[in-house]
Amino acid sequence: MARALRWGVGLLLVVSLSIGAFVLLPFRSWLPGGTVADVPLSQVVNGAAFNRLFPEPQDGDQLVFTQEKRGFSEARLKHDGQVKALLAISDVTTAPEARSKFEASQSRLQGWPLVEQGAQATALLVADRFQVKVIGQGEGLDPEQRQDLLARFNLRGLAALQAPA
Amino acid sequence: MSSVLERLERLPRRNLTVLAIKGLSTLVPGGWTNITRADALIGDVLGSSDPELIRQVRARADVLSQARHEGYGRALSLYDAVNRSQKAAGGLRLLANIGGALPLVKRVADLTPTSDSLQAADLSLKVAAEMLAFTQVNGLPGDSFGDFAAALGDYAGEARVRMAALICFDALLPLGDQALQRLDGLLGGLHKRDLHQLPAYAGMARLLPGRGDGAHLTFLRRGIEPWLGWAEGFSSQLGLTGQKAVQALEGTLGPWQGSFKQMATFLDAFTDTYQHTGVQAVARRLVERAAAEI
Repeated sequence: MARALRWGVGLLLVVSLSIGAFVLLPFRSWLPGGTVADVPLSQVVNGAAFNRLFPEPQDGDQLVFTQEKRGFSEARLKHDGQVKALLAISDVTTAPEARSKFEASQSRLQGWPLVEQGAQATALLVADRFQVKVIGQGEGLDPEQRQDLLARFNLRGLAALQAPA
Repeated sequence: MSSVLERLERLPRRNLTVLAIKGLSTLVPGGWTNITRADALIGDVLGSSDPELIRQVRARADVLSQARHEGYGRALSLYDAVNRSQKAAGGLRLLANIGGALPLVKRVADLTPTSDSLQAADLSLKVAAEMLAFTQVNGLPGDSFGDFAAALGDYAGEARVRMAALICFDALLPLGDQALQRLDGLLGGLHKRDLHQLPAYAGMARLLPGRGDGAHLTFLRRGIEPWLGWAEGFSSQLGLTGQKAVQALEGTLGPWQGSFKQMATFLDAFTDTYQHTGVQAVARRLVERAAAEI
């Protein structure tokens, strides 16, 4: 009996130690779910590479960068303190489903497929990898104004961006 | 862990917190709407009410908020830590206030000092949490320090009511109308041992840059400087004072007969303004990103 008890206590100790180690030690960064859609960070273009490709603001407009993450950069186009539009470039590696809407697209901008999403958003897929988007805010923008903004991005520079090895 | 949008939808639609923010928002041009429905927020950002698009944005936002590297969840846990400590400290002070009237428990009142410099340290911790949360949610936008400062300014402008609440509830009411000008001196008089009297510090210490209490205290003193410059301009532009804040709060909460300090204690103990507006701010940034990525 005493021997069974000793074994029991020993086993309990081992189990509780290993559970404790798993809970307390910083294993979490090794677990899946750390990155978007579990795509490794090294396969996604850093958002800092997108910043210089945004359009130069014109006639009294102001461009304020608001978010920069791996595979994503966003800025606001403002006029007199009012937000006119959200401008964004993203790497679709982490969102492959975003590609599908361009398949049926008939319209082109500088050779790249163009899609309207709802009343205020226009998206462009460059080099089958980078999505450029303009979303009208506040009073909103016409589709022509949005396409004009899209054309003012440095699309050639964007297409030339390479994924990190 | 629940996603950011789930947290948004669990926010109260009408309680003391909402009433306090509503009251204060009368001082801020542009006002404040209590957005607690994710679909409404998505529709507002996207400028469209197409249910299919809204569903896609929502799914993307959930994917983004579940990725630990993206920092949306971390920002929320920062707000939670600050909120918990604010409630604990507020509760203690409330107890001390009530206790002060009863001879037997008077001891308790003597045991819970909340000197002005501790209050100042509490405010600087909140500002630091705000900045850490900003970098967690937005990264370091732009290519230069000027770009980063512009991004921070833009964010503060968007969160005007949130900032006004921080200035009024955590500076002007407990520390008086000269709080922002006095803050530097108050923080200067703080010793690094004093930090451990702040419940929020224990939770935030490992997120603050630098090692040891001394480095953290330096970070808090330095970190609050740019914010202080902005906050002084903001509060003089709106003419914020403790008196005006109490009047604005009386509009929704009902008449108040106690002192400004007691009002601050009451708000600390019974409302979650910092957390409530924080969840809304994070949710908006998250939806702006998700809308651009679908």
